[in-house]
Amino acid sequence: MSNIENYLAPSSIEDAAAALAAGPATIVAGGTDLMLQTGSGQKTYAPTLINIQKITEMRGISKDGDTIRIGALTTITDLLTDAIIAEHLPVLATMADKFASDQIRNASSIGGNICNASPAGDSIVPMLMYKAEVVLVASTGTRKVPLNEFFTGPGKSVIQENELLIGVDIAVPPAGFKGGFGKFGPRPALEIAMASVSVGGVVKDGVISDVRVAFGAVAPTPIRSAETEVALEGKKLDEETISAAGEVASSSVNPITDVRASDWYRRHLIRVMTEEILNDVS
Amino acid sequence: MDQIVEKPETLIGKPIPKPDAPDKVVGKTTYINDMVLPRMLIAKIKRTDRVHAKILSVDISEAEKVPGIVAIATAENSPKGLIGVLKDNPPLKGDKVRCIRDEIAGVAGETEEAVDEALNLIKVEYEDLPTVFDPEEALKDDAPLIHDNKPGNLSLTFDFDHGDIKKAEKDSDIVLEEKYELHYVTHTCMGPGCVIADFDTHGKLTIYTQTQYPYNYKMDLAPALDIPAGDIRVIQPPVGGAFGSKLDVYPFEPIAVYLAKKARRPVKLFFSREEEFIASPTRQPARVYIKQGAKKDGTITFRDVNVYLNNGGYTSWGATIPAVMMRTMTGHFRIPNVEFHSKAVYTNNPFAGSFRGYGNVQATYVTATLMDKMAEELGMNPIEFRLKNAQKPGERTPQNSLLKTAALADCIKIGAEKTDFLEKHTANVAAREKPGRIRQGIGIATSIHNAGGAKIHKSDGCGTILTMDDYGRATVITGASEIGQGIDAVITQLVSEELGIPTSDVIIANNDSAIGPWDVGVHASRTTFIAGNAARNAAVKAKHQILAAAARQSNVSADQLDLRGGHVVQKDNGVSVTKLDRLLRAMHFAGDDAELVMVSEYYEPPSELEDKNHVGDISAAYSHGAYITELEVDTLTGGVKLHKMTCVQDVGKVINKLGIEGQMEGGIAQGIGYGLSEELIIEEGIVKNPNFRDYKVVTAPEMPEIECHFIEDDEETGPFGAKGISELPCIIPGASIANAVYNAIGVRFDNPPITPEKIVRALHGDKVEAAE
Repeated sequence: MSNIENYLAPSSIEDAAAALAAGPATIVAGGTDLMLQTGSGQKTYAPTLINIQKITEMRGISKDGDTIRIGALTTITDLLTDAIIAEHLPVLATMADKFASDQIRNASSIGGNICNASPAGDSIVPMLMYKAEVVLVASTGTRKVPLNEFFTGPGKSVIQENELLIGVDIAVPPAGFKGGFGKFGPRPALEIAMASVSVGGVVKDGVISDVRVAFGAVAPTPIRSAETEVALEGKKLDEETISAAGEVASSSVNPITDVRASDWYRRHLIRVMTEEILNDVS
Repeated sequence: MDQIVEKPETLIGKPIPKPDAPDKVVGKTTYINDMVLPRMLIAKIKRTDRVHAKILSVDISEAEKVPGIVAIATAENSPKGLIGVLKDNPPLKGDKVRCIRDEIAGVAGETEEAVDEALNLIKVEYEDLPTVFDPEEALKDDAPLIHDNKPGNLSLTFDFDHGDIKKAEKDSDIVLEEKYELHYVTHTCMGPGCVIADFDTHGKLTIYTQTQYPYNYKMDLAPALDIPAGDIRVIQPPVGGAFGSKLDVYPFEPIAVYLAKKARRPVKLFFSREEEFIASPTRQPARVYIKQGAKKDGTITFRDVNVYLNNGGYTSWGATIPAVMMRTMTGHFRIPNVEFHSKAVYTNNPFAGSFRGYGNVQATYVTATLMDKMAEELGMNPIEFRLKNAQKPGERTPQNSLLKTAALADCIKIGAEKTDFLEKHTANVAAREKPGRIRQGIGIATSIHNAGGAKIHKSDGCGTILTMDDYGRATVITGASEIGQGIDAVITQLVSEELGIPTSDVIIANNDSAIGPWDVGVHASRTTFIAGNAARNAAVKAKHQILAAAARQSNVSADQLDLRGGHVVQKDNGVSVTKLDRLLRAMHFAGDDAELVMVSEYYEPPSELEDKNHVGDISAAYSHGAYITELEVDTLTGGVKLHKMTCVQDVGKVINKLGIEGQMEGGIAQGIGYGLSEELIIEEGIVKNPNFRDYKVVTAPEMPEIECHFIEDDEETGPFGAKGISELPCIIPGASIANAVYNAIGVRFDNPPITPEKIVRALHGDKVEAAE
């Protein structure tokens, strides 16, 4: 039985933070994960349900100097069509084009995809690659947490009960930065990743630097792979480097076997997609 | 001046939209799941969490106290009748549970919340029993017994033999022996299970159900209810799909009735999507051992088939699928010597039911891939080997199916020509040796299915009543159910054609067993053929009555008259004799001579029951199909991308072009799912993927281009020459894909679905071993 006692729909971040300070609450944005999880009993509602969709300042993409802010309520569809994303963070658009279905992209928010903290969360992997920071607001103040320090386990993160994730900040990548995103599932659409990969770096004269590598669905949380980054940093992107990086990538992860894929197949896909992206950017 | 009515173009073969489609598109249709009756209660089922256990106690005392709970049914306080083909399934389990979907109690209450709370408060104590999940293991002497009165865990067996396979094996130049493991899939109907039960004050039951066999449903339901079958009225509201899944009575239906009786109020019991995956029937998984021999010249000498079906805990119609499976195993291609033996075996898995294709999906996957393997062994190409063994018109199969037209060879030849099959097939094999990540493949599969009904009951008939009102409209009351397959459109078309009235002037009534005449049900690809014949014959009778009356009114004899564009006309010049509606009123209001146009027809097809040795020409017609798949395989990820499916389908005659194309496309989507992605994963009796996230149905982007070529060979006994073909489109694609994947990468998969991981493991097996 649903135990929701209060429903709130604040129109400002300040009001939302005040509501969160008042006691345990469940936040709903697009609801594409929440509805399924509460419906199946995997998650239960807190006494207060806060619909944050009316906080218009939390939706949209803006650029201030070298920092791009993606509001938490920005939808996946927004990422596909936004000019700032297309110019500076194109890998997020690539990701959005592989995300679920049109209907789900229209409803799903970036903030929700992050807070759901799924090991397979599509948007998280390229944002790790872009070194995003999440912006958390409480009635007591605001803090920023690097995305690769945000997750603590499947469905778990460092966000506190009184905090609202209002957006992510991403520094504009340096000149010459190239990246890619790959995701594999048996279907081209409406698919949860068996494994996903995002790789990026500055490619100059065939040499890659400032390398960032992120993986999804191969660990309890989406992860950065320091080992793969080291294997690539400062190297010429030739066949040998790419193949070696694929090998490191695949052996650096320790995924589980479940109904979707075996651990071996997930490692295999990590290698294939890492090499594929490196070939694309080289 | 005489009004001339031009002869309109025939409606047969034209694309006629389904009459129910617009309401469905705009969301106006009231599906059974949407229905609300006054004072109706909501009900759900408490299921077990064990796969095999003795029930020690069921305590509902706390659940009964929940405010809003009106009735709780358990084995102890409910009728003891059994359901299922072998009457082995108590709707509510009292002594033991045999699989994970077993029903402990039904709870009815004012709100879903109250019912959910009560379900959580029902306490059950169990003593776990030893389990068995594999059919061959379950046959062993020391296996746990699932039903005390079913020794050896044997449910149903089918055995057929013809000729002498031992001698034929000795005379063969080559013999192939293979083992196939065919998996669990489920129907994934868009409308999950739902039933509404309502008693009147006389104690008679009205049941609103998704059933696709309303008349025999009464007979199967009554024993579980302790009421006569005649006291049951079956109403069929629109359903969100059936595909064979509604061809039996399942425990949730009597449970809803028990609750309605206790509560003295209407009760609606419905499944969640997860429950639909766990508690609705599946296709029968099969382990098939098959041996086939041939002469060097490519002549098949024999087949020897042994099938073990995983029946699960109870026997539903799924256990009878060998009746259809056998027809393909013994009669698809000329098989002079053949044996077929099948055993459906009880295990602690969820039980299987019937599913579009009815055993032929499994049989076709096996035979069509085996034909390819044998062609290669013989050094023949897949087309040549098939043509060598295709029957000719007029031949009979070992089970006595008469192949009147035998379009098999034509299907194969046309398919091969349309796709440049041999050139591509050869080129793809050669390309396997060259470097490259992406491999192209082409493959063919063929099958046969009954297409003029299937006489498995004492009657395979369909009743129809046709009446005309005072305004020239026809109402057709048919026994045939509309479960989305499109029979309403077909009947509309056939009746419009005969009566010369617009399709919009035909009304179909077929959702109430108190009104409709008997029909055996929607199954066996029979409805267009059987119900179509019944409707057409009724329309012909009505036409005779109308023309006779028109002849009496005019000076023209009936055989010189016709119905056209809402008029009675002179056949030769189209001159209107009278408007049809005016004539109908004149007939109706004729004093002592008053007559209504009101005719009936019971159509029984010219087919025969099988004898005890499974010999009998069970269908008035048979249909063949040859489907060719073109695809590519990504050898690194294992991903398969379908380019095109070219389907040559023998249909007798196209009635509704839109309808038949829709059935082809829908069936092909199911067939692709069977071959590539769909699998209900069951481990130790537990369904591991009861959701659409992990049960991979085919979605729009994976659908290939579909090119249909219909062979119209005018079946003499069909309505306007039509055969029924609704199952073949889902039967053939899986095997066609498997053969195309082999052509691309040189690897066989005898254990569908052919998932990307299976492909990668097969191609990179050495690395797998190193890693594990």
